[in-house]
Amino acid sequence: MSTQTRTKSRELRDARAATERRRKKRGRAIVAGGGVIIGCLLVAIVISLINAAGSGNSRTAAASQGEGATPAIATAGGALAVGDAAAPVKLEVYLDYMCPFCGRFERANSGELDRLVADGTVRLELYPLSFLDRMSNGTDYSTRAANAVATVADHAPGKLLAFNTALFAHQPAEGGDGLSDDEIAELARDAGVPQDVVNLFAGRVFQPWVEASTAAVFQTGIQGTPTVKINGEVFTGDLYTTGPLTAAVTAAEGE
Amino acid sequence: MAVLLARLHGLRHSNAWLFGTMLVSACLSLAASFVLSADALRLAADPGTSLSCDINAVISCGTVATSWQAQLFGFPNAFLGLVAEPVVITIAVASLGGVRFPRWFMFAAQAVYTLGVIFAYWLFSQSMLVIGALCPWCLLVTVSTTLVFTTLTHVNIRDGNLFLPPRAQAAAARFVEADLDAIAVTIWLLVLILAVVTKYGSALFG
Repeated sequence: MSTQTRTKSRELRDARAATERRRKKRGRAIVAGGGVIIGCLLVAIVISLINAAGSGNSRTAAASQGEGATPAIATAGGALAVGDAAAPVKLEVYLDYMCPFCGRFERANSGELDRLVADGTVRLELYPLSFLDRMSNGTDYSTRAANAVATVADHAPGKLLAFNTALFAHQPAEGGDGLSDDEIAELARDAGVPQDVVNLFAGRVFQPWVEASTAAVFQTGIQGTPTVKINGEVFTGDLYTTGPLTAAVTAAEGE
Repeated sequence: MAVLLARLHGLRHSNAWLFGTMLVSACLSLAASFVLSADALRLAADPGTSLSCDINAVISCGTVATSWQAQLFGFPNAFLGLVAEPVVITIAVASLGGVRFPRWFMFAAQAVYTLGVIFAYWLFSQSMLVIGALCPWCLLVTVSTTLVFTTLTHVNIRDGNLFLPPRAQAAAARFVEADLDAIAVTIWLLVLILAVVTKYGSALFG
């Protein structure tokens, strides 16, 4: 082998080794960068978890304080009661204004419920809950709607069922922004609620009551909405067509 | 330490590890698809029924399962998992047993599974951003689909099954050989966790 070719092959070897070294160096830099990203992500996850745990606790605390007003027709259990107190059938409805199946229940049964309340068969206890607040892009639609309903129950109880029906008739899509405060106010006015009562919605006077009753209801073992109880027994029949619930109420009345 | 690292490196590129991971992930995915399919049938029979995982408003398979996205092709999406995952399980078991599939076969598996991953992440984003509810079984599908996809890709890059141009193949092989894919997958999964925790953290503690 001539000196010339030997030099050439060494140069080649050196060049290759240099490329290899550069590549390794770059590889180490990438690994280090990746490690930093992983570390940051882990920190972010932990921070996010701590924040979430903190806000969860503070919410429960606020709800259990239970300051603020209670609607005049509220029961101790956290319901809004309408109809004859001596009616033979007590019907409890647990609902959230954001819950699509509550809307279906309401659309199927509201006519019948209005009639049963009006003729004194049923004492209706509505539990407007706010647990679906997280489904309205941070606008807390469930709380705003429930607060408005509680305000109407307090100041204009005669319009409660009409307003309740209107809210479900114009129910917003779950996961959207919900209805705006103005839209809620307009529905209330259309349902016959006086303007001075509508003006009270914005104060959110009953928000603590809604929070407290939501917490209390879930303590009692309610799993979700809509849940309907007839004289304390959970109604397990079809909630989404007109008829079965009326039949069950009639049967309970006969007992 | 160096020996241990070298051994770990060797294990990570071995058939046993890769197809083992693929097998376990595919089995998890199949189990989740089975639960979701069963739930879909129960829900079709009785729309008001509450499902095994309806823990609260946010952690709710029912909310997700009743959305139109849950039946994109006119039947519950989970049926696709029931069809596809057994094929992955078969490939993993056969490969663990020493079978070597032809390049075109592995390439086809990669192509189809890539569509599956895209679909899984479309569903994940819909459930996060549009439906706004979290479904634990769906999340299990997302994670295990990711793991099957990454191990399948790892195998196919290692074995040169992807019909890439020589330079791209060499670059991909170097990437995997340097274990950078492990870092990429870790980051990928952590981003997923962060997204879920950030959006739903308060619900997990609610």
